[in-house]
Amino acid sequence: MPDWEQIVRKNLRVPGVCSPEVTEEIAGHLEDSYEALLREGLPAEVAFQRTMRQIEGRRKSWLVLRFLQEDIVTDFTRKVALPGLLTFAMAMAMAWALNMAHVQPKTIFLANGLFFSLPIAWLCLLPVCGAAGALVSHRSGGSRLQRIAACLFPSMIMGTVLFLIFVAGFAISRFVPDYGWNWAVALPGLALWLAGQAILTAIPLLLGAGVAEVRTRKFDRLAQ
Amino acid sequence: MAAVNAQIKRGSAELAVLTLLAERPLHGYEIAKQIEAQTGGVLRFDMASLYPMLHRFERKNWLKADWQTLPNGRRRRCYRLTAAGRKQIAPLRAEWRAFFQALQRVTGFQNA
Repeated sequence: MPDWEQIVRKNLRVPGVCSPEVTEEIAGHLEDSYEALLREGLPAEVAFQRTMRQIEGRRKSWLVLRFLQEDIVTDFTRKVALPGLLTFAMAMAMAWALNMAHVQPKTIFLANGLFFSLPIAWLCLLPVCGAAGALVSHRSGGSRLQRIAACLFPSMIMGTVLFLIFVAGFAISRFVPDYGWNWAVALPGLALWLAGQAILTAIPLLLGAGVAEVRTRKFDRLAQ
Repeated sequence: MAAVNAQIKRGSAELAVLTLLAERPLHGYEIAKQIEAQTGGVLRFDMASLYPMLHRFERKNWLKADWQTLPNGRRRRCYRLTAAGRKQIAPLRAEWRAFFQALQRVTGFQNA
């Protein structure tokens, strides 16, 4: 009798797929298949070859892929992470396209020589990204909260960066002496700028998601 | 017997497996063989379709798996339906019934 556990361990040498429990389970399946073929009257060698076909070639790759897919593509990935990444990628692609088209952000001057740049064209396009993220999440069965999270992904990334900068700024201002640039002032300033950016991007993204929500409901009602 | 398109098979697998396990606990090989036998070979689940799905159901708490020792001393992982899994069967059946009725109306098939 072949040692099926050993064969499975050798053939499906992928972390996660070849956990001891999965190995034993798949080995059990192969053992049952092999014995069923023997009972049908096949010679041991033919039965072995036929059983092995289940974990060889394309079937082996497919088995490994399906196990990995089940592990990786969780509900969170499908409903939040992937739609969120789509929103982020679209927002970045639009920023890049506007930059390539030489559409410059509008510079607004404040008192005391202070100014800030407002990427008006990009902000006007962001609702499309928010709507796309929310729609993809909706199609994957995402709840309202998950749809909001998916559409706010670019803002959340900015928020995370902001948080990290705050932490870094705090640490630097406490432990590093001043080397000519006042980190204690510059970093919180940068953080405030990023907070502004995060809020500024969140508004059009939410607006887009809101429009998508209304349109989807209308469409669902019509379809019923 | 004609093989069923992979997409249709994937969609119907959930209902087939849950319905089968509603009768009694089974291990993976038995599930595959019973589905094959009961459908006259039309629905066949290889390991790549079956085990990742069973593990997904287990994560969703629709199934509970226990190792059982068979009379020949070998261990098999037996799956049994949980209360949460049992609750999934009725809506899935309703969904498939609605699908078949709609298909029947369009195509004129009887016993679609």
